[in-house]
Order: sequence, then C-alpha cells, then structure tokens
Amino acid sequence: MAKDPDRRDLFAGALELMILQSLRYRPMHGYALAKHIKQVSDDLLQIEEGSLYPALQRLLREGLLESEAGISAKGRPTRIYRVTDAGLRHLEQEVSSFEKMFAGITRVLSVAKA
Amino acid sequence: MSGLSRLFSRRKRYDDLSISIDEHIAERVDELVDEGISPAEAEQAARREFGNVALMEQRSREAWQWTTVESALADIRFALRQLTRSPGFTITAVVTLALGIAVNATMFSMVSAFLMPQLPGPDPQHIVVASSVDPDGQHQADVNPASAPNYFAWRNDSRLFSAMAAENEYRTGNLSEPGRQPEAITYASISPNYFSLFGVGPEIGRDFLPGEDQPGHDHVVLLSHGLWARRFGSDPSIVGRSVRLNREDYQVVGVMPESFRLLIFAPELWTPLTLTAADRAPQARNNRSLYLFARLASGVTLEQARAQLRVLAEQAEKDFPETEKRWGASIRTMGDFLIYSFGIRDALAVMMTVVGFILLIACANVAGLLLARAVGRQRELAIRMSLGASRVRVVRQLLTEGVVLALMGGGLGLFLSWFGIRALSAGLRFNEYIANVPVTLDTKVLFFAAMVSLLSAILSSVAPALKACRTEINTDLKSEARGSSGGRSRNRMRVVLVGGEVAMALFLLIGTGLLIRAIYMLEHQKLGFRHDHLLTASLVLDKERYPDAAKQDQFVRSLAAHLREIPGINGFALASNLPATGPGTVPIHIKGQTESRSNERHTAADVVVTPDYFSLTSIPLLRGRSFTAGDDATAPRVMLVNQEFVHKYLQDRDAIGQKVRLDMTGVAPEWREIVGVVADVKSYSEDPHVDPEVYEAWAQRPVAGFSVMLRSSMEPDSLIPSLRHVVSGIDPELPLLHVMSMDKVIDGQKTGNPLFTKILAALAMLALILSTIGIYGLIAYSVGQRTQEIGIRMALGAKGADISRMILREGFKVAAIGSAIGLALALPLPKLFESMFPGDVHFGAPVVYPVLLVAMLAVALGASYVPARRAARVDPTSALRSE
Repeated sequence: MAKDPDRRDLFAGALELMILQSLRYRPMHGYALAKHIKQVSDDLLQIEEGSLYPALQRLLREGLLESEAGISAKGRPTRIYRVTDAGLRHLEQEVSSFEKMFAGITRVLSVAKA
Repeated sequence: MSGLSRLFSRRKRYDDLSISIDEHIAERVDELVDEGISPAEAEQAARREFGNVALMEQRSREAWQWTTVESALADIRFALRQLTRSPGFTITAVVTLALGIAVNATMFSMVSAFLMPQLPGPDPQHIVVASSVDPDGQHQADVNPASAPNYFAWRNDSRLFSAMAAENEYRTGNLSEPGRQPEAITYASISPNYFSLFGVGPEIGRDFLPGEDQPGHDHVVLLSHGLWARRFGSDPSIVGRSVRLNREDYQVVGVMPESFRLLIFAPELWTPLTLTAADRAPQARNNRSLYLFARLASGVTLEQARAQLRVLAEQAEKDFPETEKRWGASIRTMGDFLIYSFGIRDALAVMMTVVGFILLIACANVAGLLLARAVGRQRELAIRMSLGASRVRVVRQLLTEGVVLALMGGGLGLFLSWFGIRALSAGLRFNEYIANVPVTLDTKVLFFAAMVSLLSAILSSVAPALKACRTEINTDLKSEARGSSGGRSRNRMRVVLVGGEVAMALFLLIGTGLLIRAIYMLEHQKLGFRHDHLLTASLVLDKERYPDAAKQDQFVRSLAAHLREIPGINGFALASNLPATGPGTVPIHIKGQTESRSNERHTAADVVVTPDYFSLTSIPLLRGRSFTAGDDATAPRVMLVNQEFVHKYLQDRDAIGQKVRLDMTGVAPEWREIVGVVADVKSYSEDPHVDPEVYEAWAQRPVAGFSVMLRSSMEPDSLIPSLRHVVSGIDPELPLLHVMSMDKVIDGQKTGNPLFTKILAALAMLALILSTIGIYGLIAYSVGQRTQEIGIRMALGAKGADISRMILREGFKVAAIGSAIGLALALPLPKLFESMFPGDVHFGAPVVYPVLLVAMLAVALGASYVPARRAARVDPTSALRSE
C-alpha cells in the first residue's frame, strides 16, 4: 500500500492523546469521534478510521475512558465514550510532557538551522 | 479491574465494540448515500475507509485479552479443526509419534527407577559411602567393601566424618520356627546408629539402641516391611516376640517401613553388627565385608574427604604391607555409589540411545507428513498472510499444530507406555535385586514424556514452519504450477529427511544387530558339561549346629546315604560350586616354576567335588585319572586341572605329576599332585571366557557350603519333595537354598539378557518399520508432486519403465547416501560396546554390516517401488490437463 508522503504516521501514544483531548469537553460515539479528529487534523494525519477502535479499547481498559449505551445522530444504538477523572489527569500529564518534548525538538531544529 | 472479572465482562465489551463499529459503518454509508452515491458503492467506500474490519475488531479485542494465552488457545482450536479435517494424516502422525514417545517413556521408567532412585531419609544427598579399592579387581574394583580395622580408623577421623555406620550386607540366614518350613533369607548386620544416620526410624517398635552391638545384648532384630508382611502376616504384635534366626532366638524390636530401600541393598531383616577384639586385629584387614555409610564433617567437601581418605589408606599400606599393599580407598555420594554398584547404567544408556533414535525417525516421518501437507496448504497460508496475519503468527500456528499433534501423540504414547512399563516390570524379575526395585509410571516418567512430546513437536514442525516463513504471498497465490516439482529447497528438505531416516535406521539396525548377535552367541555357547535333567540345591552347614569338620562330615555321609535311596535317581554329586556359575579364584604356585612377580600372580578357579562329579556332568577326562574313593583325608593330596590350566600355566606340557599349592586362608599350604586333566567348562555361563581351573577332592578338603546335584531321567523338579524329605529327615531346621534344575540356574544367570535381546529386537523392528513408512511416504508424495513433470516427460516420449527407473534411481540414490552415513557411524560400535560391557564378549562381526546394508537398501527400494509403479501409470494427457 503506497503511502501519501504528505501525511505522517502517528507516533506512539499520539492517537490516544488525540482521542482524550477530543472527548474532553464533549462525549462522542465512534463515528463522530473519527470525523472530529479528521476535520481537526485537516486530513494531514493518516489514520484508518478503524484504528480508532483498538485505541479506544486500550483506553477503556486503562480506565481513562468509560462508555455507555447511547443513540447516534441517525437514531441507531451505539456506545458513547466519555473521559474519566483518571483520563483527565492522564491527559494533562501527557500534554505537558508532549509540550516539553516539542519545545526540545523545536529548539534543536532552530539551532541546527542557525 | 481484576483478571477474573475482566474475563466475565468481556463478552459485553465485545458486543459493545461490534455495535460501535457497525454503527460507524452504517452512519458513513448513510452519509455517502446522502451525497448521492449508490448504496452498494457507499458500502464499499465506507468499508475501505474504515480498513480491515475483522483485523480492527481482533486488535480491539486483544486489548482485553491475555494475548498470548488466548491466541494460543485460538491456535489450538484451529489446529484441532484442521487435524480432524484430515483424519488419515492425523492418525498416521499421532500413532507414529505415540510409538516414539511410548518407547521412550517406557525405557525411561527404568532410568527413573535405577538411575534416579528414591532414597530414604530427609537428606540422602548428604550421605556418602566410603569403600576400599581392590588393586586386582576386575569389576567395580573401587567400591569394594572395607575391613573392620579400616572402619574403626576412618570412623575415628573426626576431620572427615561426623558419623559413620557400618553394614555387613548379603548375609544368608536361616529363619526357622517350629512347625514351619525353614527359610533362607538374606539379611544385614548393622551398627546401631545405621538407621539414625539416614534419619529414618521404624514404622512400629524401636530402632537398635547403643550397646546392642555388644555380645550378650545383640539378639535383637528389625524386620523389613516385606518380610513382616510375608512371613508374619503384618502382625502388629510382632514387636517383643522372638523369631528363630540361625537356630537362635532373637527378639523383634521393630519393623522398618517399606520406603526404606537402598536400590539393590534390600535385606529382609537387620541384626546388630557385633565387632570384637578379633575384628581389630591386623589379620582382620583381610576380611573386607563392610559397607560404610557416613556423613561428612561440617565444611568438608567430597574432594577433601577423598584426599584425606587416600592419606589414611597410604598410612595403612605402610603400617600393614602384608594385607594393605596397593589397596586404596574411595568415597562416593550414596546415590552415586548405589547406581554405580547396580551396574546397569551402560545398558540403559544403550537402550535410551536406541529409543532416542526411534523418536528421531518418528519425528522425521511426521516432519515429512507435515511438509507434504504444508505444500497443499501453501495457498491457505498465503491467503492468511494477505489478510493481515504476520509471519510470526503463521509460524506459530504451524508450531501449534505440531504441538497439538505431539500432545495427542504424547497422550496416546503415555497410554501405550503404561502397558509397556507393566510388561517391562513383569520382565524385570530375573533376579531378586532387580525385582526389589519398583519400576512404575512415576512423576519423573510423566515429566519426561511431556518433555519428549514437546521436543518431538519442535523437531517435527520446525522444517514445515521454516518453509512457511519463506512463503511469498504473491508467487504462492498466483502459482498455477501445483504439479511441478516444488522447487529446489523443498527437494533438499526431502532428501535430507529420507537420507537421515535411512542413516539412523541403518545405524540402529547395525547397533542392535551387533548386540543381539553377541548375546545370541553367549546364550548358545557350549558350556562344556551336560546340564539337562539335573536338580541342584545348596546347603550351608551353620557353625551353630556343625561347628567342626567331624560334625559336617557326619551330615554329608548321612546325606549321601539317603540320597542314594531316592527312587529314580541315576546319580548325585556334591560340589563347592555348580559348574559355569563363576567359582572363586585362588592364588596358586606351581612347584619348580620361579615365583612370578606379585602383579602377575597365577590364579585359578577352585572347586571341591566328590568323585562322581565328572561322570554326573559328563565333563570328559582327557588324561590321567579322575578322583576315586581312595583319595581321602589320609591319602596323598591330589588334584585335577582343566585344559586351560595346562595351556596357560604349563605351556601345554604334560601336567600329570606336577605339584601345585593353593594359597588360601585356613587351608594348610600343601603341595598337591595333578593326577588328571579334564576338559574346559565355561567359568560363567554368560561369558565365553574359561579360567584355569583346579578341582580338589571332597574328602581331602570338605566345605561347609556346597551344592547338591541329582541326575535323573525324570523331570528334575519331580525330585524336589524327595530331596526336601531327605534333608529335613537329617536336620529339620536346615533350609535348602536355590532348589532348581541346572537349566534354571543357567537361565537365572542370563539376568536381563533375554529381555534385553527381545526389547532390542522389537525396537529395531519398530525403527525399520517406521523408516520404511517414512521413506514410502516421502517418495510417494514427491511422485504426487511431480505428476505434471512426469506427464511432460511421457508426452515427450518417456516410457512408463523409464519413469519407474527414474523414481527408483532417485530413491536408491538417497538411500545409498543415507546408508553410507549410517554405516560409517556404526563402524566404531563394536569397540564402544566392548568398552561398555565387562567380560570377554566380542561384539565385532564384520558379516553384520553388509547383510544389514543390503537389507536396508532392499527395504528402501521396496518402499520406493510402489510409488515408482504408480508414476509409470501416469496418464500424460490427464496429468497435463490437471490444473
């Protein structure tokens, strides 16, 4: 399967981070979540929609998310995912560590340019 | 969440997941339809965007699983489904593996029983055995029992041992109670601390007390569990009662538990070992009969103990050169000592090697079967890989199939080995030492069977799995060429398997052939005397009733008078040893010959016989005369010698008139004149060796322990009641030992040989059959694979006969290469066997090699013949048309 060179693979943990961030203020069902991430990331990130689901299950298992029965926009039964308190804490930790990492990378890259 | 509750909530999780995914796709389809795309296209597009639904679902589920365990379970379920789908393959593979595993588990039960025996006490590994080393010993010279003076010397060296107990093993006693038939038993005398050294106490009653080894206090016994059950009906009130041992009353103080067992050291009762001042005297050093069990002093290693013991032995050699010259001392851990003394290790090593090869052959067969199957499944594997299965996953699946096969084979094999072990254990009764050791399907055997099963799983599925690793999705999916020869690498694998099977089978055949031939020659060697229709029994005239030569002589005269009256006997004789039963040897001196150096002592087997001995046993007199009634105590001392004696010591010169002196303790050193030469008799029925032998006249040196031989034209066993009647008429308390025909005596000396031969022959046949099946299977399979190629050849003008010849030639070529390897490996076997097994048995038999080589090649050709014929009948048009 040929890859679009403009789109990048995700690094480990990034998908989980994006899921937590997306669900932070609004619980969503799977399809809505997939659509949300696609739109927000401007289609720059290559994710198969399906790959959301293993990530969701991992987050459920870690207790960072919880799910409940709900109805989709089209009136079909589905499951709504919501971030737990533990999930929030985890998200904040991860975000700050990501920010530190990005800051570090940016600095190195700017030094290299100069 | 705990693992367990996760397990229960998982079903709901999976349902949630499916609902979410279904909804996801449905919603996307709706959206696309809203955009004006046809429902069918929308469905396709939605699924494409989503990715592999099954894979995503699988990955999502894995979040909830103990991945390895669960996917292994899934693999096992899948493997079982696959295997039930092709029952022919499965049954062949399982039965093949089962046979391989069964023979291994069965043989291992002997290893478990004899080489890993259950030893008594809480810490048997801390007990050591100190022994003397016999400078002239032929067999296990370094575990010779020690003398009482050495026992005292070693025990008292506190730098060495913290405790030491002595045991005088293998004593023969006479158990007699009024009104019961007297019974000869084997018993041991032990120092009172013997059982406490092991940390074992009696199951009822008490242990010996300190001081019970003193004369006057020593008439106490401990019974073995077996004797207690057999002779005393497990009577719990036995403690405190008295039994009559060697015509004296002993008080029973306790019964030892059945678990107290030291491999072959299995006395029926124990008495205290009384050592007197005489046992401390220098001449007591000649009497080496004590087994010394000890605990090392704290901090002393086995190596240090060995060194220190050597120092003590050297000291004794200096102080007592008469008796201790060149004698050494050795130390072994108890387990090591017992296993070594048993002397079964080498025979078991041979057996285990044989069954190991059979397992390899069985695995090669199954590997061949799996390989053939893997080719049929090439597409299935390629499809599974294209659907997202990783290589590792596919290989694991194949290995799982191998494991499942091996476990089924292991289960069936264990079932078969249960019968095998029962049969083996029934066969292992040829002497009391072997019969004493229980051979069972114990946990060690179970563990071994499981390990062997796993090993065979790996061995048999590694080749197909490696093959699968190289599966190329594209080429294998596209491949139309199912009928072609399947490429170089598969061909190489086949050649290796067939060649390897032939090599192993031929190696095994030659090895077992050499052993079986050697044993057969032993079993059928001419012993040099007539052993049919002879009844034999032994008697030991005990010192209590027969303290002196006059009393003994009185018994013998009375015995002879009564034996003569038994109806139906044609003659009888007494002898200190039965012929071909390995009589003891004594040092000799021949008058007029210069004394040889001490390390080249002349020795001869020494037997005391009554005058009728030679006519009774039909041992021919070659020169001179036999003994007569005139050769009595008052006549000049005479002796007969055998041919080997004349040959070895007199260089075949005339022996008559030569004078010989025997060097024996307790016998006056007189010169005896050789009056006759008799033909050779094998010294021991199980060895082709003949020792120089001297015969003494009974009346000139009567012995207290001897055998009676009765000849009759009737069945020998029919004389037993008369013989018993005669002996009990003279002395009702005197037991008759080893009452049996001479043929039975010889049979008894064969020990494990007949069983060993049968097992070896059966294993060799099994190896041959398995490898034949394997060769047939692999060649038949290769013919099947090459149907298309054969079709092309025929279309181009090859005749059926050409094709047959081609297949046969290829089969033969591989078999020839394999045979060459097997033959080369088998060349050093006779030397190896000769170094492993004591005695003068010759294993070299050049004729065995070509015969078995031809047989192997014939079998290989035969196995290729059927597929070759089938190849010749291939119809070119249908072969080419088929796919």
